[in-house]
Amino acid sequence: MMTEAILNGRLPPPVRRSDGVIEPFDKERIVKSLVKETQLVKVLYNLPPMSEEDARMIAEEVEEDIKNMKLRFLSGPLIRELVSVKLLEHGFDKYRNVYTRVGMPLYDVYSIDHSEGYEAKENANLQPNPETFHKKKADFLSKESYLLMMPPRIADAHLRGDIHIHDLEYWGTRPFCQDHDLRYFFYYGLMPDGTGTHTSVAGPAKHAEVAILHAAKVLGAAQTNFAGGQGFFNFTVFMAPYLMGLDDKKIHQLAQMFLYEMTQLYVARGGQPVFSSIQIEAGVPKVWQDAPVVSHGKIWKDLTYGSLEDQVHAFANALLDEYLKGDAMGKMFNFPKPEVVQRRRYWTESEFEDVMLKAAQLSAKYGSTYYDNVVPKYRGGEEGVSCFQCCAYAFAEDGASEDFKRKINFEDGAHFSMGGMQVTTLNLPRIAYRSGGDENRLYEILKETMDIARDALLLKHRIMVQQFEKGLIPFASQRPKGAPPAVDIKNLTHTIGFVGMNELVEHVTGYELHEDPSAQKLALKVLIEMDMIRKEYSEETGLKFSIARTPAESCAQRFAVADMIHYPKYAKEYVKGDLERALSLYGDTKDVPIYYTNGAHVNVSAKVPLYERLAIEQRFFPILKGGDIFHVWLGEANPDPEALLKLNKKLALESWIGYWSHTKDITVCRACGFVGGGLNESCPMCRSQDIRVYSRITGYYQDVASWNAAKKQELKDRYRIRLPA
Amino acid sequence: MKKKMAYIGEIAPLSLSDYFGEPACVIFFSGCNFNCGYCQNWKLKKSSNEHLTDIESIKKVISENKLVTACKVTGGEPLLQLDALLEIGRFAKSIGLKFGIDTNGSLPEALAKILHLLDLVSIDIKADLDEESYRRVIGLQSPPVSEVIKSIEIAMRSDAYVEFRMVVIPGYNDSTKTMKSVSETLRALGYEEKASKGKACFNLIEFVPENAFDEDFRGIKNPSVSLLHDLAVSSGLKNARITHRGLGILKPVY
Repeated sequence: MMTEAILNGRLPPPVRRSDGVIEPFDKERIVKSLVKETQLVKVLYNLPPMSEEDARMIAEEVEEDIKNMKLRFLSGPLIRELVSVKLLEHGFDKYRNVYTRVGMPLYDVYSIDHSEGYEAKENANLQPNPETFHKKKADFLSKESYLLMMPPRIADAHLRGDIHIHDLEYWGTRPFCQDHDLRYFFYYGLMPDGTGTHTSVAGPAKHAEVAILHAAKVLGAAQTNFAGGQGFFNFTVFMAPYLMGLDDKKIHQLAQMFLYEMTQLYVARGGQPVFSSIQIEAGVPKVWQDAPVVSHGKIWKDLTYGSLEDQVHAFANALLDEYLKGDAMGKMFNFPKPEVVQRRRYWTESEFEDVMLKAAQLSAKYGSTYYDNVVPKYRGGEEGVSCFQCCAYAFAEDGASEDFKRKINFEDGAHFSMGGMQVTTLNLPRIAYRSGGDENRLYEILKETMDIARDALLLKHRIMVQQFEKGLIPFASQRPKGAPPAVDIKNLTHTIGFVGMNELVEHVTGYELHEDPSAQKLALKVLIEMDMIRKEYSEETGLKFSIARTPAESCAQRFAVADMIHYPKYAKEYVKGDLERALSLYGDTKDVPIYYTNGAHVNVSAKVPLYERLAIEQRFFPILKGGDIFHVWLGEANPDPEALLKLNKKLALESWIGYWSHTKDITVCRACGFVGGGLNESCPMCRSQDIRVYSRITGYYQDVASWNAAKKQELKDRYRIRLPA
Repeated sequence: MKKKMAYIGEIAPLSLSDYFGEPACVIFFSGCNFNCGYCQNWKLKKSSNEHLTDIESIKKVISENKLVTACKVTGGEPLLQLDALLEIGRFAKSIGLKFGIDTNGSLPEALAKILHLLDLVSIDIKADLDEESYRRVIGLQSPPVSEVIKSIEIAMRSDAYVEFRMVVIPGYNDSTKTMKSVSETLRALGYEEKASKGKACFNLIEFVPENAFDEDFRGIKNPSVSLLHDLAVSSGLKNARITHRGLGILKPVY
């Protein structure tokens, strides 16, 4: 009887709900759910939710449609799709946004579990493993949801490629990155879950080994609360009190322990190591000289960091020695990234020569040292506290800032919390295209685009503060023994990044950055304009905003591709890479070999010597206080560390470069496990041809085999130039 | 005024492996009087007209380059263009750079004339210092071995730092016998004394087959790190070093 009624279209079939129950169709359920769920429209967009009358009208129409379809099978998700279509038919787009389901095709889920398809290659840093598969599915769901939850003006700007909102999968749950103050944990102890309910609670470390393990676990625990890198500023200084009375061998053992912990704690975000960095001071910076030591659960009355300089120095040496050794296979430790601080006294006082030389040796061997140069005036020099995070974003507190003294003295637990809330990147070439080459119009569009980026950042801020206050970012908001929270959420930096300054100036002036002073002048003007707008944002909101170059591993490509779609006439003239091949591949894959130049960098394929590149790029550093990096490409397989040391000295003392690293081409042999310098065609050790060659082209190491022929050629040609006759 | 030109194939504005301890600008002269099968820079063997370069433009590159502390001329054989070399050398010294050259040692008179400008002279040792051994490597019927010895003598007497570079090619010069003979010759010419003043070194360099000039040499396998290490030890010379891609960095052998 009932089957007949269903087939006649008089009754809808029973519904299989996604929670596993089968029950008869009831349109009142649609009415109720519409009224309830469209409340989100009020929360998210501040618009009125759906009225019950409208909801009933929709439900009745859907019921009619279902009857007419004469289905034998109906599920909750199917009904929801039908309701969504009906909402669109009636022009209820915003209600549809919040009522729709998010998810992915079953085929894609299957592909992810089997590590196949586009999803498998999207992020080279993720190794295929069960955690990763889980993360990929969750990421997909989250990204789709957050784009629907954002005001359409912001979501559309992202989707169109005007801006790029980074780490979208964590938009509603995690702030970006953090450099922690180790003293906090050495004073209050360790509570990995932030509340002490799901994990044990450790008192402050009393022994060196425990201090090392706590440090590693702080970064691991924090990674579960943050989207990006985790690090320690002033690492060697804050560790020093635990090293008193230990011999050099023991100190090396501790350093080695830390490097292994940070590269084997393989638990972060879908089975990867924590994305970590440590700031290595060779001595004790001026601001810390007279500060009381905080460790072993107390503030020492009669001990200052200044008196521990020998321990700091020994620990810096030990860490660099262990980095130089590599792991048991002789491979480099890729985490935590060593940020070796450059101060004038480390270069002028001969006792620090050893640390500077080891840093150079590490660059020569693996290319892994990062140089955090506080010598240039704009870095705030000896009067402030600052750091560069993993992705080369910079954070600072100058000595005049509120509570600076209290934080230095750890009064009532006052401490530093430096990090980023969120990064949003501007597509600069598009701004140039839209301006039609008119400079005034360019600044107007720049401001409009930055305003959208600002709104995105402020929205993120609001969401994060709410989550934080509800205790939903528990490691960050922890308050052991009534201490101030571990992370000062409202003090995180809102970063506006950018890609393609080179192509912006190329479109307006007709020259790339390295081709003419007029191009460089315009770049500087645009940056100054951006910085003025940034200042307005800070003043209006009282929040930290900064301008930075974006590392842009994927977004340099995404913008180029987006512009080929929306502004093909211009884009095909200015995108870099192999356009012809990109066009032939497009349609099958989004991974095509075109890109815009990162930040305000000179085109990587420009045939200009390093000193010219330096002369151009160093002028941008003082404005890019949010972070920038200078790449030194090493052409040779066997760089001489002593020569590299002298080059470093020049960069530290005579340039405005605030942050640099040396990139070395690396050959990895899959037959014998050899890792060493040079772009080789066979393994220099076992002669196998089964090798991979890596180089850092846009800011990270990449398999050269995946480069196109022109790029490979460029790589080989990069280091020598021909002069005109 | 007529431009002063030289055959210069390329310039590497910043090298961290061509001048011990110094970031250096490296200038590649083209044209060579040897015909070595293992040569890596054989594209610079002929001084083609395409390579003609105004010396003033070279000076400009050197003087604008604030990142280097030294200038090195290699090639090709730099001493074949002595006037250009003198001019560049004088200029480099005048702006406070250290100055050095690579040479195959076949032009002792030219070497003597530029010696006063040199802080570093790197002399190739191709094989045992006898005609037969040299012939096999450098591809000339009458190899100028006595000139090479004369160049070594001149360099030893100078104040310059002298590097003896030997590219180790399996089957040609990779025996301990060769090491013994080479080290004996060098010792007889005063190597030990100069080395003990920290003014000389002996550098064994990995032969890289991929880029070799001669087909036959491309088929030879590169020597291993341990071979280079053993040969360096067997030479018994002070300040021996080895250079190999497998090391990752330049390394002294103790």
